[in-house]
Amino acid sequence: MTEPIKYLSQPKFNNPALLVCWESDAGQLGEKVVDYLVHELEGKTVCEINLVDFFPLGGVTIEKDITLFPQSTFYFIPDRDIVVFYSTIPRYEWSKFFNLVMDVALETCNAREMFTIGGMVAMGAHTAPRESWATFNSPEIKRSLTYYQLSREMDYETPPGARPTLNSYLLWAAQQRGLHGATIWVPIPFYLVNNDDPAAQKKVLEFLNSRLYLRLNFARIDAEIMRQEERLARLSQEQPEIGRIIKKLEGNLALSETENETLIKEVEECLEKS
Amino acid sequence: MALVIHHEPDLNHPVMIVGWPGIGNIGLITADSIRQAVEAEELGEIEPWELFFPNKAVIRASILTQMGFPTSKFYYKKLVNRDLIFFIGEEQPATRESMYAEGPRAYEMANIVLDVAEKFGCGRIYTSGAAISLTHHTLKPKVWGVANQKSILTELKNYPNTILMSQAEGRGSQGGITGLNGLLIGAAKNRRIPGICLMGEIPDYLSRVPFPYPKASLSVIEVLSSVLELNISPNVLNDMISQMETVIGNIYQQFPQDIRERLEQRKQVPESRQQTTITEEDRQWLNEHIDDFFKKGEDKGA
Repeated sequence: MTEPIKYLSQPKFNNPALLVCWESDAGQLGEKVVDYLVHELEGKTVCEINLVDFFPLGGVTIEKDITLFPQSTFYFIPDRDIVVFYSTIPRYEWSKFFNLVMDVALETCNAREMFTIGGMVAMGAHTAPRESWATFNSPEIKRSLTYYQLSREMDYETPPGARPTLNSYLLWAAQQRGLHGATIWVPIPFYLVNNDDPAAQKKVLEFLNSRLYLRLNFARIDAEIMRQEERLARLSQEQPEIGRIIKKLEGNLALSETENETLIKEVEECLEKS
Repeated sequence: MALVIHHEPDLNHPVMIVGWPGIGNIGLITADSIRQAVEAEELGEIEPWELFFPNKAVIRASILTQMGFPTSKFYYKKLVNRDLIFFIGEEQPATRESMYAEGPRAYEMANIVLDVAEKFGCGRIYTSGAAISLTHHTLKPKVWGVANQKSILTELKNYPNTILMSQAEGRGSQGGITGLNGLLIGAAKNRRIPGICLMGEIPDYLSRVPFPYPKASLSVIEVLSSVLELNISPNVLNDMISQMETVIGNIYQQFPQDIRERLEQRKQVPESRQQTTITEEDRQWLNEHIDDFFKKGEDKGA
């Protein structure tokens, strides 16, 4: 029998926060935030969840000539107050999967709180200020995050036929195990959903930096934001139609279906080329 | 996967009626309508956490206050002639990509349902589902039957408005029932519990639409009402049927005329339907466009 968790190291934990990020998130939010934290802060692998119960492993998926393969890995960040879990979204056995995540968080890491992050598709322009907000699984954590101004006092019910998000499901699973948690949502302009959105990534990193005293150096992501802004500004200059559409978004005007499609296509091509 | 039984009623050789969602929700509507008509009481449930992705999150003032999961409940009713147990599953335990159950979880769930059937001494299990047929939506759906033991085929042949699956539209002896409605009577066979699956006809051109087809459920209800002497009102689904007939009628009018003409022939010769099938090309066209028709129907407030 294969063990459900494969341990690769056994560092000492001091009640860290658990950060959960998902692969394939809008604007590559999860992937890039994990990449930034693990590389900037020299994270080490703690353990991996055995994939076999949660993913179809009959072959590999290929996207743009690159093979994709699921992963579910916990990283430990030395001298910091955080454990990072980065995972492909499981295809089935979600309850069992979340219980394993909670087992590692509570029994191995003795985590004190959990944050998940998620990109929310937004109809605004990339030039608009990004405002993050949160949903919480307990009044205690909501209270403890008051200073970060994340609450919009939102009321919501999943409409019939739709499903709750994976982050909400995980928040609930954490609530059942007594772990306080919050999902930090960041808007991603719809034309950057399939691309990189460093401005959204920075928004999340800023929150984590402030909450968890990570002492992050933002130079690399600031440079990425500047590069992307320059590329999009150049695109607007070279193609006045794109400039006009973005201006419309900046003025909070609704776009036609054709304008939407044109903007998505041209931005994707521009960012892919560069 | 935990079973929770709330009551231990003393039941007299009950019959179990099972319904899960599927094409046209025919099985689910059948079982649930009978359950409501006889005013059955809750008996127990299968806990959902290990089986399902949640179907409802409730957030109040930014705090997650509730997470809802699809229910899988047992009900019972003591009657003069025979007692009944119902099992109503809001969803089949499936992956996010498919609505039909398969694999170990599905088999496990089927066995829990059968454990309850055995615990209360059920002598018969009925499941129900859809029979995709070359019928027309204005015709009364027939019911196709399949049994899990040869000894009950003769009884099944005598059910009203019912034909054996092998005799339907020249199908021959081969066939299959997808999902738990089929799996359950298969697993029941291994436990020697007699089981019958009754499938209400749904026109092939409506089999992919995401809406109920209560007319077929009514045909199955009539059969069960008759063989189990339940005296269910034939008007039990009137409102739902008339609502769906309006929707379907509107969409049907949007089919290209040549397809509609071929489908109309089915009304004239219901006994030789295999000769009035639409072409593969027409079928492909309908499959590609049927969702659009329903969207248009919704826009019109249908």
